[in-house]
Amino acid sequence: MASAFETRRRNQLIIAAAVVAVMIALPLGVKDVYVQNILVLTVMYAALSQAWNILSGYCGQISLGHALYFGIGAYASTLLFVKFGIIPWFGMAAGGIFAAAIALLVGWPCFRLGGHYFTIATIVLAEIGLILFLNWSYAGEASGLQIPVSGDSWLTFTFLRSKLPYYYFALGLAAVVWLVTYFIEDSKWGYYWRAVRENTMAAQSLGVQVFRSKMAAAALSAFFTAIGGSFYAQFVSYIDPDSVMVFQFSLLMALPAVIGGIGTLWGPPLGAAILIPFTELTRSYMGGGGKGTDLIFYGAVIMIIALARPEGLLSLVTRTRHAPP
Amino acid sequence: MNTKITRREAGALVGAALTGAFVPGAARAQGRQIVIGGLYPLSGANAQIGVDAKHAYDTALDVINNKHDLDLPLAKTEGLPNLGGAKLAMTFADHQSDPQKGRAEAERLITQDKVVALIGTYQSAVANTASVSAERYSVPFLGADTSSPTLNKRGLKFFFRAAPHDEFFTQTMFDFFDEMKKKGKPVESIALFYEDTIFGADSTTVQRKLAKEKGIKIVADIKYRSNSPSLTAEVQQLKAANAQVLMPSSYTTDAILLMKTMAELGYKPPAIVAQDAGFSEQTLFNAIGAAGEGVMTRSTFSLDLGQKKPSVGKVNELFKARSGKDLNDLTARQFTAAMVMADAINRSKTGEPQAIRDALAATELPGDQTIMPWRRVKFDDTGQNNDCTPVLLQRRGDKYVTVFPAEYAVADVAWS
Amino acid sequence: MANAATIAQILMSGLLMGLIYALIAAGLSLIFGLMDVVNFAHGEFLMTAMYATFGLVVLLSLDPLVLSPIVAAIMFVVGAFCYRVIIVHAMRARTNVGMVQVFATFGLAIVIRGLAQFVFTPDYRSIPKSWLGGQTFSIFGVYMPAPQLAGALASLLAFGALWLLMKRTDFGKALEATREDAGAVGLVGIDRNRVFAMGWGLGAALVGLAGAILSIFYYIHPDVGGPFALIAYVTVALGGFGSVFGALAAGVIVGIVEAISATVLQPSMKAIGIYAVYLLVVFLRPRGLFGH
Repeated sequence: MASAFETRRRNQLIIAAAVVAVMIALPLGVKDVYVQNILVLTVMYAALSQAWNILSGYCGQISLGHALYFGIGAYASTLLFVKFGIIPWFGMAAGGIFAAAIALLVGWPCFRLGGHYFTIATIVLAEIGLILFLNWSYAGEASGLQIPVSGDSWLTFTFLRSKLPYYYFALGLAAVVWLVTYFIEDSKWGYYWRAVRENTMAAQSLGVQVFRSKMAAAALSAFFTAIGGSFYAQFVSYIDPDSVMVFQFSLLMALPAVIGGIGTLWGPPLGAAILIPFTELTRSYMGGGGKGTDLIFYGAVIMIIALARPEGLLSLVTRTRHAPP
Repeated sequence: MNTKITRREAGALVGAALTGAFVPGAARAQGRQIVIGGLYPLSGANAQIGVDAKHAYDTALDVINNKHDLDLPLAKTEGLPNLGGAKLAMTFADHQSDPQKGRAEAERLITQDKVVALIGTYQSAVANTASVSAERYSVPFLGADTSSPTLNKRGLKFFFRAAPHDEFFTQTMFDFFDEMKKKGKPVESIALFYEDTIFGADSTTVQRKLAKEKGIKIVADIKYRSNSPSLTAEVQQLKAANAQVLMPSSYTTDAILLMKTMAELGYKPPAIVAQDAGFSEQTLFNAIGAAGEGVMTRSTFSLDLGQKKPSVGKVNELFKARSGKDLNDLTARQFTAAMVMADAINRSKTGEPQAIRDALAATELPGDQTIMPWRRVKFDDTGQNNDCTPVLLQRRGDKYVTVFPAEYAVADVAWS
Repeated sequence: MANAATIAQILMSGLLMGLIYALIAAGLSLIFGLMDVVNFAHGEFLMTAMYATFGLVVLLSLDPLVLSPIVAAIMFVVGAFCYRVIIVHAMRARTNVGMVQVFATFGLAIVIRGLAQFVFTPDYRSIPKSWLGGQTFSIFGVYMPAPQLAGALASLLAFGALWLLMKRTDFGKALEATREDAGAVGLVGIDRNRVFAMGWGLGAALVGLAGAILSIFYYIHPDVGGPFALIAYVTVALGGFGSVFGALAAGVIVGIVEAISATVLQPSMKAIGIYAVYLLVVFLRPRGLFGH
């Protein structure tokens, strides 16, 4: 019995290794900087959506406020870099840990809430974060913060023209979050989370520590989201509250997982691979007219996918939609 | 080179497949055409700005590419004479007011569409990232309508701005207050009302500084959340402060709401001197009707300049034929930016980005060859034009008239 | 500075705005209570109603107040249509129903915004002349703008009518029964799809009424719905999902809290007051003020 399951697990790893290998080689054939930019965003959203998936997909706590952790990550590393000269690699770690701490802090009261009350609370908390940053003069208020770029450097993680260093970092992040999710799927926590998602009451009666499960998922999810935020700050080298903490970001992090397949290993990368190039290309090649046709098209496609494939596009390629029992 | 073209065409094919039809003007620099990139918000809350900007640029291209009897550079000829009559074209990209998207679109325009220069972007935050990319690709970037004073202070070699930034604008307002003081009507108290954006912050930083220097009391300093559903409480605070001059820095949406709420709460300050933006939009005055009478705003442009410069009226007609609107502060700046850029491209002789940059740096365009009330266009070391004094306009009936400074004024200011 | 008149003005402004928030939230609350769907296109419904009002004013030269029933009727059709064409499919999803609904309606919202930009251009519109526009009453120095007063009145009337509809009519009973047990009503001959479609129509009609009145004193453009929608979600959750009259109470609370916190905090941070009240309430009462 176990062998079939183990084979499937092993196959997952092999597929993942193959995908990563292809992705590593991909830039060799893609020299166009615009396409490279799309690739960076795609792997970044694959990572972010996978991180979101940990809390909202596996543990079933739908958050539409992950922009908060994204923004915290972006601001933490940037503030440390700009104000104290601490290189972003430390800032990134600090931002991740800080975001995880915040997630635990707000999780403590919020995880008593169910369903939509929880979701609205996450939106509201992210909005509070946005407003606080817009009014925090040390962090530049609305003017934001500029990351000084003097030249190509791995130490300060800044590059003038090349997108490839950013691409490989984002790819690495996506791979790490995927791997973490992969190992958790088969761990004690993985079972706890799915139990909490499927039926909180039943999970409780079976001895699952519901509250601690949610807290663990939230902290892990926030940690990786913040790393993504730090990355984005370095990538754009300029941040302001309106470009890293708005509600739209929260939706964009959730969307790939929903489109691809929520609560699955491959949903977020698949969703990101479809959605992000699609978003960018519609804007670039349809948005120049100013008539809103890109919006009509983009919205319609999201609607149609959501309606036609409620379980996500992943279900088109695999029948083993659900993780091991 | 060959492979690059294929890839570019592959990109275009993807685009064509998506749109079902080619976006007109997604031009490739082939033959006798020089292409500039335009970065604007074309969807989202600021889409109106981008759509109007396209009309302004199309008007400029019309003037440049066809024969017009106007006292403007390149108007009397077809195309760019120094480049064998090559036509100028613009291709636009939608940055959706997002710095990251603005940068991606800048890079796309530079590397795929091979634009020789960029113009944009309305939002200073987007200009920030897009101009850095332009610098890295050694392509000149002309800020047409971005007013953050920080933009030209970043040591960029390819950044230029022909129009004033917020420090000029605010300086003019306070010069006007000085003038009123001389006439025995000193301004003693002002109220600042500004949105929580870069625009609001930059605008009021200078206002605060100058007010302090001149000993004018700031009785209210109200920062508000842009696009709030209601401004009632904010207006109550303004009313309670009862300043002599209300100085709002707001875009159209909030400007409409502010003026309507003020009327509803029975508040009419003795004077309003606005930091442009929403207050330069006809839409605002359509919405508030008579309540707009006497409102003042700073501007880089006024239609009544036509009394001194015939080209203003003619350009306005061309613009109106396209957009159904009169030129305003923003669209006039956009038009002028295109003219300045075309002049530099023509003088560059080659139409190559580096040569255009050098030509821009050497620009010396007399004010009477623009539609603006400027002395001239000449960029300093930071790429800023310092000879572009703004004007103050005051609302009379259904239009704005220039009331300050004296050399451009067509009417006396109504000031109690 | 804070004399009695100022305080009275703050409370009055908050109350009027709050009743309008309640009216905007009513439709959202109704739809949620009926079938557990959060409509992420609610702000776009409001925007559609405002454009409908604007279009009709231009076309018929009638006052927005006169047109408000027509706008409500148009929105009823829009709402029912959206249910029949989109939501009914979203309800069929067997897995992660909640997310499918969120993103189907989110996609719908983007489409509506795109359509508005396509049809009306992104220009800011407003209705320059109307009976109530610019009118204001003043009692002891407390100003009550006529449009907001009308909105508040319409809100109270709408909630009254809603109460009568729910308690006194067969349709209301069908609505109530479907809400209690959507599966079982089929057995007693109620077509639940029809009830749902009516519910969506009614919800949209309520927001249509709000849009018609809002257009008297507000600007109109494709993105106008956003700020109102967020407040509407918070209002509905604060009142308690499923409790339409909770939305009325919550709307008033939100309006007054907003007015007070704009005075106590910096105006740019006034929304924090609303959000803090929401968090505080649900931490104490996890199902909102009046949730089931």
